[in-house]
Amino acid sequence: MNKNEKIKTYYNVAVVAGVITLVVGFLLLFNYLQMSGTDPVESKALDALIQRLDDDPGNSQLKEEIRNLDLMARKAYFTAKWQIQTGGWILLFSAIILILALRNYFVLTNKIEEPEKNPVSENAARVISSRWVLIAGLIIISAAFLSSFLSVDYLSRYETVDDGAKEQADKAVEVVDLTEEDEKAVPETEMEKKEEAVLVADTLPGDVEEEESEKVKQNREEQENTAEVAELKKEKEVVNQPKSLTSDFPSKSAIESQFNSFRGAWGNGISKAENLPLKWDVGAGTNILWTADIPISGYSSPVVWENRVFVTGGNQKERRVFCYDTASGKLLWNNLVDNIGGSPSTSPETSEDTGLAAPTSVTDGNVVVSIFGTGDIIAFTMEGKRVWARNLGVPDNHYGHSSSLLAYDGKVLVQYDTNKSGRLLALDIVTGETVWDVSRDNRISWASPILAEVDGKMQVVTSTAPKVAGHSIETGEELWAVECMMGEVGPSPAYANGLVIAGNEYATLAAIDPAKGEIVWESNEYLPEVASPVVADGLLFIATTYGVFACYDVHTGNKYWEMEFDEGFYASPVIGDDKLYAPDMQGVVHVIAIEREGKKLAANEMGERIVTTPALLDNRIYLRSDNKLYCIGQ
Amino acid sequence: MNDKTSGAMGDKKVKRRDFINSTMRLTAAVALGGLAGMTVSKSNSGQYVWQIDPFECTQCGRCATECVLTESAVKCVHAYDLCGYCDLCGGYFKPGVKNLETGAEYQLCPTAAIERKFIEEPYFEYIIKEDLCIGCAKCVAGCTSFGNGSLHLQIRHDICVNCNECAIARSCPSDAIMRVQADEPYLIKGNFSPEEPAKWKNKS
Amino acid sequence: MTNKQQNRPYLNRIVLFLLFLMLGISSFAQTQRFPKPEFETGYTQPSPTTPEPQVFGIEYLDVLVLVLALSLASWLAIKKRSRKGIMWLSVFSLLYFGFYRLGCVCSIGAIQNVALTLADPAYAISIPIILFFVLPLLFTLFFGRTFCASVCPLGVLQDLVIVKPISIKPWLQKALGLIPYIYLGLAVLLAATGSDFIICRYDPFVGFFRMGASFTMIFLGIVFVLMGLFVARPYCRFLCPYGVLLGWMSRFSKSHLKITPTECIQCKLCEHSCPFDVIDEPTEELKHEEKIKNRKRFTIFALLIPLWMFLGGLALSGLHGFLAKAHPDVYLAELLIKKPGLKNDTENLDVQTFLASGKTMEQLVHEASVIKAEYYTGSWILGVFLGLVIGVMLMNQFVVRKRTDYEPNKTGCFSCGRCIDYCPVKK
Repeated sequence: MNKNEKIKTYYNVAVVAGVITLVVGFLLLFNYLQMSGTDPVESKALDALIQRLDDDPGNSQLKEEIRNLDLMARKAYFTAKWQIQTGGWILLFSAIILILALRNYFVLTNKIEEPEKNPVSENAARVISSRWVLIAGLIIISAAFLSSFLSVDYLSRYETVDDGAKEQADKAVEVVDLTEEDEKAVPETEMEKKEEAVLVADTLPGDVEEEESEKVKQNREEQENTAEVAELKKEKEVVNQPKSLTSDFPSKSAIESQFNSFRGAWGNGISKAENLPLKWDVGAGTNILWTADIPISGYSSPVVWENRVFVTGGNQKERRVFCYDTASGKLLWNNLVDNIGGSPSTSPETSEDTGLAAPTSVTDGNVVVSIFGTGDIIAFTMEGKRVWARNLGVPDNHYGHSSSLLAYDGKVLVQYDTNKSGRLLALDIVTGETVWDVSRDNRISWASPILAEVDGKMQVVTSTAPKVAGHSIETGEELWAVECMMGEVGPSPAYANGLVIAGNEYATLAAIDPAKGEIVWESNEYLPEVASPVVADGLLFIATTYGVFACYDVHTGNKYWEMEFDEGFYASPVIGDDKLYAPDMQGVVHVIAIEREGKKLAANEMGERIVTTPALLDNRIYLRSDNKLYCIGQ
Repeated sequence: MNDKTSGAMGDKKVKRRDFINSTMRLTAAVALGGLAGMTVSKSNSGQYVWQIDPFECTQCGRCATECVLTESAVKCVHAYDLCGYCDLCGGYFKPGVKNLETGAEYQLCPTAAIERKFIEEPYFEYIIKEDLCIGCAKCVAGCTSFGNGSLHLQIRHDICVNCNECAIARSCPSDAIMRVQADEPYLIKGNFSPEEPAKWKNKS
Repeated sequence: MTNKQQNRPYLNRIVLFLLFLMLGISSFAQTQRFPKPEFETGYTQPSPTTPEPQVFGIEYLDVLVLVLALSLASWLAIKKRSRKGIMWLSVFSLLYFGFYRLGCVCSIGAIQNVALTLADPAYAISIPIILFFVLPLLFTLFFGRTFCASVCPLGVLQDLVIVKPISIKPWLQKALGLIPYIYLGLAVLLAATGSDFIICRYDPFVGFFRMGASFTMIFLGIVFVLMGLFVARPYCRFLCPYGVLLGWMSRFSKSHLKITPTECIQCKLCEHSCPFDVIDEPTEELKHEEKIKNRKRFTIFALLIPLWMFLGGLALSGLHGFLAKAHPDVYLAELLIKKPGLKNDTENLDVQTFLASGKTMEQLVHEASVIKAEYYTGSWILGVFLGLVIGVMLMNQFVVRKRTDYEPNKTGCFSCGRCIDYCPVKK
């Protein structure tokens, strides 16, 4: 073979390999596009056939059709996969041949280049190079400058609305300025404002003044929820002026005469109610004043203020606060908890026996404040007008948040111990703003806080693992702490006779002197797991989940008696009218005498599971099952 | 300037250049050594491979499409220990299925990669045919929401080429893909050692 | 109730608690809804198969092969001076590191692992990766870039597809030569912040080795191969970030491939032999005024370096917000702030998974701003580095070194040995 022949051969080989490469390449590309266009996992035709089969389950011809189509789709999918694999190898092979042939072709046809006649002098070349490097450098830097002006800092935009971690939460509180209600009465101006606000929101959220941003939020909420606005308008006349709310926080005695929070006035399980019924019969309606349906279930207990009962309910879809009239059981209002800044769109996972509406609300007669497993906390007036709402951060809680709220001295007290951190907060009950927010080094807890008057001063007492602690209501500062708890603390503490009683299954039952911060006595014979202890007349009562009810001397820890029931207790027992009311899980409300001898006074069957704590006020018992509210009285 | 002096000057220049060169070489060597030392102090003699944390996985289905390999290295694994051997298997049947039959019209798996085998009344065994499985996570989603979650995705190391940056890890919306030591390359559900395997996620 | 009865649930609880500990918190969500049946027919339960990783054990073999290949390459380039040997070694490297070991981990990508190790104390790097990063640099420091010539699978692939190289003007080479520095800086920044391994993600050739890759990868690969037919080693010369480091090492290397084994006879035959245009011609004698001019330029450019560094830092730091988008968290946070409506988009998996995770927007924004702050520092450093590179490159244009012979440019030469064959001086 002479050189020319060789050149020709290489040329021909290169052409053939080139054609093969191109053809296979295009086929592969086509195959790739086809494969990426049709998803093997989703076949619309197949889905449609299966839909048809649902309507006509007996159609064996249809079944056959589906099976064939399915087989075909799968075959096509795997064939296409095989094709790509094989095609890839062919392509690689032909490309190698092509490149080898081309190389040899060019090597053979290569002529030795003549040295350049007039090469640029080396020094001139340096100058030219430096000029181009200079230009390139300038281009790079000015391009960077230019694009830095074009890039928008969205993160800081977010922070102009909500600034800093803690303030963020504060400013996320949306306070409905009730004085603006008058303006809203004129629909035209409202419309204008809405448009304006939306414009501002869409174009320049970064520059929106704080005040405006509040309006924007509020307006947005209105837009999305015109129904609620309409409702609000209707009730405009009866709305209290917010300014008066501050001075309006009720006195101690006023609160004590109500049943305003979980387990009564100070969370201690004691009610001043008198003339409570001993026996009732749900089936026959004896001593049942009314029953009302609760549209959404929840494990929060009722709270009562004068003529209103409040309960909450929640599921993955929605959370609501319900207000009933004590006289008739009529549902007065039923408000959705939504449009809260920071609220997760998908609710956190909770266990079935906790749910999203486990914590009980609190009321001071002006507003009712409710908290949910999503971390949403919301305040409504007694008439159901939304006052403020915010999200405290989605609680990292594997069962679901269940610590109830307390109110004292114009503050809402929130125990917010999650897997992430221990936290206790006080929010202004009028505005929802954080008054103080203490992080604590304890573990997660499901217990509720209580109020205790120690040395003439109210403090908030919490039970967590490992600490039972008292905190100042003014500052949140820890006043005393005793490390005696462990595990997953469910029962709330109780306070009476100068002693804080705290207990938990697998830990201990301890009486603590808060003034000294030390344990007075301890016992571990019967330990509560869910239901909280309660004290009256120097007697301490414990209800366990395995059905034992025990009574101790609160000062010494001596056991007076124990009783065994068929069912365990989840609901915390409460005391009123010198009797102890303890619903068990089967729904039997046991009435027990407050005496040193164990004495069962009555057992009233509700006919359904009860896990909530009854509210006792005046001469009535308000009892909530999953979806019903009972008012029991003579 | 005569030849002699220029030669001497040239020598001087060459010497200077050599000196600079060797100084720089030494500097580079020291820098390289320092860098190596710093990294070695943080190193681990073991090799790392990618694996899916089945508890973080949200069954989004990206594993099937995002892997650099045409046949995804992610496949469904059955932790038999956790399986309830249900007759009505949420991982096998389409939701709302009326007949518990093995026809294509009732199967959830788009590639029919799950084999259903009768064991004894009322229990059935489900076996993954790995050559057919494409890692779409449909059965995993079904099993996790209706059953025990014994079906879950794992990166199969006989297929995985262990890229320096795993393409699925980057696109995983729940950061479920982490690096694990190569001597314990699987995170099979119910089969974890008590201490957490040494892991580190590419996405923090 | 007796004590015994009371103890029973207690024990159960402890066992349960231990189980929970073992399975971790997330297992709370996953309870065994259907207990495992007790079979009566003697069914034995199979256990899931767990095939061993392919990498297991082979990584030290890789290191061994790397050392051998590097030694052989250096010997072939400097002692044996055999272009043929270098080529066959390169074919072997392509087959072993490329097609057999599938191109991962390569020395180029190892830059990112090293950067991340230094930045993130939680990231554990494995020793083979460190060796893959360090060994080629070390060999280069002594023998020049013999790694590029016949060990690096990416370089070798490009070397083998060179068909008809065209010469690129020096000024264009110099200007394009800035790109690898930018790429290196970006790669280190993105890797150190734990955002992305861009070198791996945009590796144009690894798709060939694996016979499959994402569309962009394959597309880039085809573009680079087609370009490589005429522009020799386009990735190595105008993109490779590892090449920057190798260039630094090679510049001060102890020995280096020489075109002539002994005395150059100035035949100029090798002048056009190099497909990469990295043969430096003998320097010409400059006029006195030109020398003075050069010295002046040198001084000016040297004095300008701090300004370049400052400008670079300033410019790039302004760009930190843009760069930070490479981190998925920052991207998601900004996306959600920009388009809050996306929260209702059930199709958007990233958004939906974030919402379902229970993480609040505040947390996300906080995390994103922490990363962004890292980016601010990082992009200042990157900018200062790029400014320094530009400044020094300008200054270097006027460092005139006297050369009497044709010599390979030590920084750019890949030690491929093509020029050896052109040199008529054999001994």
